Amino acid sequence: MANLPFVVVGLLFLMGLIAIIAENNLFKIAIGVGVMESAANMFLVVLGYRLKGDIPVKFLPGPVDVYVLPTPQALTLTAIVIALATSALMLSLIVMLYRHYGTLDVREIRRLRG
Amino acid sequence: MFGSLFTGFGYWDFGSWLLFFILAGAMTTWLRSQGRQDYKKGTEQDQIYFSGNELPDSEEITVPASSSYWGFRKALKPYYDKLVAFHSGQTVTYVGWFLVTTALLMVLIIL
Amino acid sequence: MSWSVHLPALMLAVPLFGAFSTPIVALGGRRARMIWSVLISSVLLVLSFCLLQYVATEGTAVYVMGGKAWNLTLPSGMAYPVRIILEVDSFNSFIAVIGCFASLAGVLFGLRFLDRFSGKIWYSALYFLLTAGMLGLILTGDLFNFFVFLEIASVSSFGLIAYWRDRPESIEASFKYMLVSQIAAMMVLLAIGFLYGRYNLLNMAAVGKVIQFGLAEKVALVFMITALAMKCGAFPMHMWMPDAYAEAPASVTVLLVVVSQASLVGLCRIVFSVFGSAIVGDVVPWALITLGMMSMFFGVSMAVVQHEVKRLMGYHSVSQVGYMLMAFGVGLLAMGDPRQMADFGMTSMKGGIFHMVNYVTYKGLLFLVAGALYYVTGTRDLDKMGGLAKRMPFTTFMFVIAAAAISGIPPFNGFVSKLLIYESSFAVHPALSVVALVTSILTLASFVKVFQTAFLGPEKKEFSKVKEVPASMVLGMAVLTVVILGLSLFPTWVVSHLVEPAATALVDKGAYIGAVLGGGI
Repeated sequence: MANLPFVVVGLLFLMGLIAIIAENNLFKIAIGVGVMESAANMFLVVLGYRLKGDIPVKFLPGPVDVYVLPTPQALTLTAIVIALATSALMLSLIVMLYRHYGTLDVREIRRLRG
Repeated sequence: MFGSLFTGFGYWDFGSWLLFFILAGAMTTWLRSQGRQDYKKGTEQDQIYFSGNELPDSEEITVPASSSYWGFRKALKPYYDKLVAFHSGQTVTYVGWFLVTTALLMVLIIL
Repeated sequence: MSWSVHLPALMLAVPLFGAFSTPIVALGGRRARMIWSVLISSVLLVLSFCLLQYVATEGTAVYVMGGKAWNLTLPSGMAYPVRIILEVDSFNSFIAVIGCFASLAGVLFGLRFLDRFSGKIWYSALYFLLTAGMLGLILTGDLFNFFVFLEIASVSSFGLIAYWRDRPESIEASFKYMLVSQIAAMMVLLAIGFLYGRYNLLNMAAVGKVIQFGLAEKVALVFMITALAMKCGAFPMHMWMPDAYAEAPASVTVLLVVVSQASLVGLCRIVFSVFGSAIVGDVVPWALITLGMMSMFFGVSMAVVQHEVKRLMGYHSVSQVGYMLMAFGVGLLAMGDPRQMADFGMTSMKGGIFHMVNYVTYKGLLFLVAGALYYVTGTRDLDKMGGLAKRMPFTTFMFVIAAAAISGIPPFNGFVSKLLIYESSFAVHPALSVVALVTSILTLASFVKVFQTAFLGPEKKEFSKVKEVPASMVLGMAVLTVVILGLSLFPTWVVSHLVEPAATALVDKGAYIGAVLGGGI
C-alpha cells in the first residue's frame, strides 16, 4: 500500500512509452513524451515524501518531528523547466514538419533512410 | 619523445616507420622513373586504357561513387538487403530498438 | 594557487557568458560578432590548457559551487557533500582540452561557411551554449548536474541540427534525434532518482563510496548504460546518428562529435567511478563488448555503400564508437583481477581513452573537409563530385591526413590507439580483434572511395571555376590537423604523460572519492 505512488509512476511512464511507439500522429507522440516527463517528475516528488511529514520550512509553529525532504522538490522544479523547453521545441519542430511534408503521420516522414 | 612505445606484446617506433616510408618512397620513385619518355602526345598512345573497349564519346569518364565496390555489394547481397532494410527510416524503429536493448540488458543483468 | 583554483568554474562560466552576450555584441555588426566568438573560443582553449597543467601538478581538482570556500566539500562536519561539486581529474581535463580544440576549429570554420545564410546571431549563441553543455558534462561531479548539462547540450543540438530549416530533411533529422534523446534523458532521470532514493546522495563520489549492487542499482545501471550508449551512437540505437550528422552544418557536426564523446565520458564515470568494483559478474563488461562489436561491424558495412559524404562519415562515427565501447568493456572485464589488469586491462583503458581523443580530432577534421566540399560544390552527393584535388590542395592534404588517421595507418595517431585496442582485445578472445581489424580495412576502403570520387579523377565541367575555400575555413581545419600531427609525432610522450594518468585516474575509484570526501575543514 505504501508503494502505490511508485506503481502509479511506473504505469504513467509505461503509458507514455506506449503512446510514443503506437501512435501515428505527431502531436500524440509529443503528448506521450509530455506524459513520460511528468511521470519522471512525479517519481522525484514521491521519493522525497516521508510519512506524516511536514513541509520543509524551518520556522513552522508547533512541534515538528518529521520533515519531507526538500532536495527532490528542487530537482523536480529543474526537471519541469527542462521539460517545458523541450516540449516547446518539439511542438515548433512538428509545426515545421507539417509545413514541409504536408502530413502529420509519422510513417510518412522517412526521407532519411538507407 | 621519439622513443619506442611498448604495448606489452610489440612496440611502435617512429624511427622505424619513417625509415620504412623513406625506403618505400625511394623504390616507388625508382619504379616510376623506369617509364619511357618517348611517347607521342595526342595520338593513340596517350589515351586511357578502357579494357580494350572503345572509349565513349563524352569528354568526362568518371566512376560515380554508387558504383564503387559493386562487386563487394553484389557478393554480399543477402546481407546488405537485410541491413539496408533495417535502416528503414521509420521513427518507430528508432525508439523500438532502444527499448528492446534496454529490456534485453535488464533481463540479462537481473538474472 | 590564487586564481587557478577557480579554473573549473571559469571553464563553465566563459562559454555561458559568451552565449548570452552574443546577441548584445552582435549589435555592433558582423565583424564584432565574429571577433567575439573567436575570442571566447581562444580564451576557453587557453583556460583548458591551464586546467590540464593545474591537475597534472596539484592532483584532482575539486570545486564547490556556491560554498564559502572553493574546496569546502564537507561544511561544518557533515558526513556527505551537500552542494554541487565539480571534480576534475586527469581524465576529464584531457578530454576537455580536446573538446576546446574542436570548438575553436568549428568557430573558425563557421565564420565564412555560413556566409550565405541568415540567423547567425542565434547560431553563435546556441554554439556556445552547446560548448558549455559539453564542458559541463565532462567536468561535473554530481549526478543531477550531469542530467542538467546533458539536457542543455541536447536542446542546443536540436536547435543547431535544424539550422537549415528550409530543408525538410534537417527538421526530420532534428525531430527524430529529439524523440530518442528525450526518452533517454527521462531514463537517466529515473536512474538518478533510483540512486537518490536508495542513498539520499547526489554526489558521484559520495554514492560511489556507499554503493552496493542490489536490484535498484542494477536497474539504474542498465538505464544509464543504455541511455548514454544511445547518445554515443551504439548499435542498435544508432540510427539517428547518420541523419543528424549529415543534416547539421559542418561546424556544428564537429561539436556534436564532441558531445557524443562527453556522453561517453559520463558513461565511464558511472561505470568506473560510481559503480566500479561494485559490479559483480561478467554480464556488464560483456554487454559493453557486444554492443561495441556490433556497432563496429554494422556501422562500417553500412558506410561502405553510402554515396552521400556526411552520411558516410556519420556511419563511421558509429563504428569508431564501437571501438571505444569494446575497449572500455575489456577494461571493465579485467578490473577485478590485478594480474589481468596489468596484463591487458590497463592497455585496453589507455587504448580506449587515446582513441576517444584521436576520434574527436580526425572525425572533426573529416566533417570540416566535407563541409568545405559542400561550400565549394553546393552538393553532398559523391556521384556529382570529381577532380577537385588540383583546385583545393589544402583541403586534399588535410583529407589525406584525416583519412589515414581514421583507417589506422601508421604512423598516424589512429594507428597507436588501435594497436593498443587490438592487442588488449586479442588477450580476451581472438574474435574481438579479428572484427576490429576487418572494420579497419573496411574503413580504409570507404575512405579510398571518397578520396577517389571527390578529389581524384578528371575535372568536371561544372567545377572548373572553383577555388580553394576561404582562409578562415582553412585555418579551422589546420587547427585540427596540427593536433593530429602533434599526437602522431610524439606518441610515447602523449601516452605516458597524458593518457596514462587519465587511465589511472579513471580506474582508481578510491582516489576519486578521496578527493571529494577527504577535503574540507
